[in-house]
Amino acid sequence: MLAMSPTALFVFGVYIGCIVWTCAISFTSSRILPNYEFVGLSQYYRLMATERWIVSVHNMVIYGIAYIGGCLIIGFLLAVFIDQKVRFENTFRTIHLFPYALSFIVTGAVWQWLFNPTMGLERALNELGLPVPGIGMLSNPHTAIYALVIASVWQGAGLVMIIMLSGLRSVDPDIWKATRVEGIPHFQTYLRIILPELHPAVLTSVVMLGIAAVKIYDLVAAMTQGGPGIATEVPAKFVMDHLFGRANVGLATAAATLMLIAVLCLLTPLLYLTYFRTRRQQ
Amino acid sequence: MKPSPHNARGTKPQRLSIARIGIYVFLVVSSAFFILPLYVMVVTSLKPMAEIRLGHLFALPSSPTFEPWLTAWSSACRGLTCDGVSAGFLNSVKITLPAVTASIGLGAINGYALSFWKFRGAEFLFAVLLIGAFMPLQVFIYPLVRISSGVGLFGTLPGVVLLHICFSMPLMTLLFRNFYATIPVDLFKAARVDGAGFWVIFLHVMLPLSVPMIAVAALIQTTGTWNDYILGLIFAGSDNVPMTVLLNNVVNSQFGEKQYNVNMAATILTGLVPLILYFSSGRWFVRGITAGAVKG
Amino acid sequence: MKTLLAALFSTLITSSALAADLTAKVMHPWTSGGEAAAAKVFADQYTAAGGTWIDMAVAGNDAQLAASISSIMGGTPPTATHFNTGKPFEDLVSGGLLRDVEAIASSEDWRGVLPKIIVDAITADGKIMAIPVNLQTENWLWYSKEVLQKAGLTGVPKTWPEFFEAADKIKAAGFIPLAHGSNSFWDRFLFQKVLVSVAGPELYLKVLSDRDPALLKDPKVVDAFETLGKLRSYVDAGSPGRPWNDATNLVITNKAAFQIMGDWAKGEFVAAGLKPDVEYGCSLFPGDEVVIMSGDVFVLPKIDNADATAAQDLLAHVMFAKETQLQFNIKKGSNPIRNDVDVSSMDACAQHAAAIQKDPARLVPNPQFVMSNDMLGAISDVVTKFWNTPSMSPDDLAKGLEGAFASAK
Repeated sequence: MLAMSPTALFVFGVYIGCIVWTCAISFTSSRILPNYEFVGLSQYYRLMATERWIVSVHNMVIYGIAYIGGCLIIGFLLAVFIDQKVRFENTFRTIHLFPYALSFIVTGAVWQWLFNPTMGLERALNELGLPVPGIGMLSNPHTAIYALVIASVWQGAGLVMIIMLSGLRSVDPDIWKATRVEGIPHFQTYLRIILPELHPAVLTSVVMLGIAAVKIYDLVAAMTQGGPGIATEVPAKFVMDHLFGRANVGLATAAATLMLIAVLCLLTPLLYLTYFRTRRQQ
Repeated sequence: MKPSPHNARGTKPQRLSIARIGIYVFLVVSSAFFILPLYVMVVTSLKPMAEIRLGHLFALPSSPTFEPWLTAWSSACRGLTCDGVSAGFLNSVKITLPAVTASIGLGAINGYALSFWKFRGAEFLFAVLLIGAFMPLQVFIYPLVRISSGVGLFGTLPGVVLLHICFSMPLMTLLFRNFYATIPVDLFKAARVDGAGFWVIFLHVMLPLSVPMIAVAALIQTTGTWNDYILGLIFAGSDNVPMTVLLNNVVNSQFGEKQYNVNMAATILTGLVPLILYFSSGRWFVRGITAGAVKG
Repeated sequence: MKTLLAALFSTLITSSALAADLTAKVMHPWTSGGEAAAAKVFADQYTAAGGTWIDMAVAGNDAQLAASISSIMGGTPPTATHFNTGKPFEDLVSGGLLRDVEAIASSEDWRGVLPKIIVDAITADGKIMAIPVNLQTENWLWYSKEVLQKAGLTGVPKTWPEFFEAADKIKAAGFIPLAHGSNSFWDRFLFQKVLVSVAGPELYLKVLSDRDPALLKDPKVVDAFETLGKLRSYVDAGSPGRPWNDATNLVITNKAAFQIMGDWAKGEFVAAGLKPDVEYGCSLFPGDEVVIMSGDVFVLPKIDNADATAAQDLLAHVMFAKETQLQFNIKKGSNPIRNDVDVSSMDACAQHAAAIQKDPARLVPNPQFVMSNDMLGAISDVVTKFWNTPSMSPDDLAKGLEGAFASAK
């Protein structure tokens, strides 16, 4: 209908149109300006042979797993503990969620300072007597990615906490009565009964976090700029650098298309489940 | 004895058992970890560089100074231009206000249309919109650069605002659609029976009811737009650089020794608007997240 | 006759300039102390000639490149923007996005005062497509006299074995042997210096222009890779991500002994008030005395606006003028691109560079003259990984380079 026409315009013009165009260009040899010289899959072949791309994907996967894992565990624990009718519940919730309101640039800037090799956390902790290894985590190519993970978990765990909390609160109270009657300890209840009940919340969290991991760019731009070396290069940065600096639009769009496919793969289980659920309801 | 309030997990425990202590310890330690960066930011921003170089990250400033804040606001350098992040603040406001207003408006209209007016292609539109929400921006950038430059909107304020509106469509539509789904359809039917049309019902019936949702949507969208980096970086043009982009330039600018106190002050200034919104809105923010994330 | 024409032309420019709005938005990456002072020379001269200079400095070469290209791509280009001499702006030329400066270049006889290699690099289809502003020499070894003395060294190392010996002594004395700011740009930069000084100028050029994998097995090239590998352990832990001028600062403040950096580092020493041969020194050793040459140019995107075009003409005129050239290069540390500028007022290092530049056998171009930005980027990625991963062997570096040669164009 007419009222939705601006949206329809966006949907077709931008969402569908741009995606189609990007994919189309990935099959050409475009450099700065689009040319329509069809070169088949050669950009994709080149991607697979480019070490920086392989490393970027590798980094993204490692980062993604650690980030999702960290957020899930901490978020879940936080939700469980906060749900125990603690006092100051609001305060605890507020404290753990505020990082989510911050931009990734802000997060990156703060944590870059915290990880400063000569004046940051490591030195402060050493002075307090904690034997943290002296070399900066950010300067070491093997650990830099984990610095990113720590910063992201700080930002994202609150979100998972909220999702889990809402999931926990919608658990049938009769279950609790039943387990108390049976004398099952809380810990077991959580593990065997509640957790499985929470699988929509877990799935939602995993999908949202996973997609955020595929898209990661701002944090890297602010914290490490891809360094040291190429140790924290990520696919989104690869696309941006090749779109503009390296002036190789064909390669960049091929990389972007692969990112798109990755996201679609992550989305599919969620879509499938939602579709099935609505189907069953009908 | 008065009966204690009954709840899901039984009555509120009166004694401090080991388990309770453990819970509080965990929560307090975790809170400390989460607050730590904020504390360090503030403390660093109040110290003179000489004190920062000494390295005691957690120490309170021995001679606090507001110099770094002044510098960050009005004279921090990124390259040769030394006008701080204040220009970025204004630009971010200029981008955020119109974008949020328009996207809420469009989102409400869309949600309303999708909830009550079944038309051909509605579900398809909605599905594509939702999927589009998840797509990485990188897959849109190059075509958008070409399109926006073709219509003369590249690097302009209207251009970047339009893009923000475009990319906020999915979430806004989803929020309002879910919200309107909770409104009894009889209300709608009654209005139709009275002979009211699309816009009349929207403006006189639905919109007044939507105030809580508008508040939530405004929160989420303002935070999202204010915190954006990529769209501002590419499409805002040098005249409309938002605060996040300026911040990154200031913090990572290759210009002499890094002024960590100024950097931290600039960082706080950039994060101030979303933080203030967050701390003053409490539950609304949470409602927004859950409404968007945990859908039926 | 030529001078008359030139005079006529410049009057023409200035008079048409008086009628037009000569606002020029100029984008460049010069944000360090010395570089900024040099940019100011351009700005001041341009303003004196009647124009308005709007400065668009973007920190970081890669970031400035990205900003240039994205603004040109998006249709809102600056009036002029900086590129390095060579192939980086080749795509813009072939895409028809730049205008030429042939009219001014002919009337002012630029070709008569420019080295041939530069003219070739900026000409396309017989027209000059960029305003060259300097000739830079890249592979200098800057050193702090105080640190060398404190470490017990009597002279500057002349060969690589001597260098490593000296570096060990410096380390033992508690100083940083090599000040370095590591990122993909500067790691590749080091690689160039080591390659040219160990493998020699001809092999260096062959490896970079022919990019034949067989050359990577040449013993001299292997030796160069091993030297680069050894160099890795002589930088300090703070080097990743450090800006290049912070590294220079380590030498200026006598915390580090050496920095391998281009002549723009001299601008930092100058800005800090130091004098060559007094507090610091410059040398082209270790290795052969050859210079890797590079340069800065400004390109003029095509803008459909008479005022903008007039501004661009004035910019070309001002930037290439003799006096501007001299002042700009004194502040920046590089050498004027025109060979008719009197360099006797420039310091010893600049004079040394000028002398070597006159000998074509000792002059080699930097990679940007012989490969696209894309290929350069691919090589940089490999080199920076090698530099930052101590476990990678020179053999791994060779393999990585082979891969880069094969995949990029």
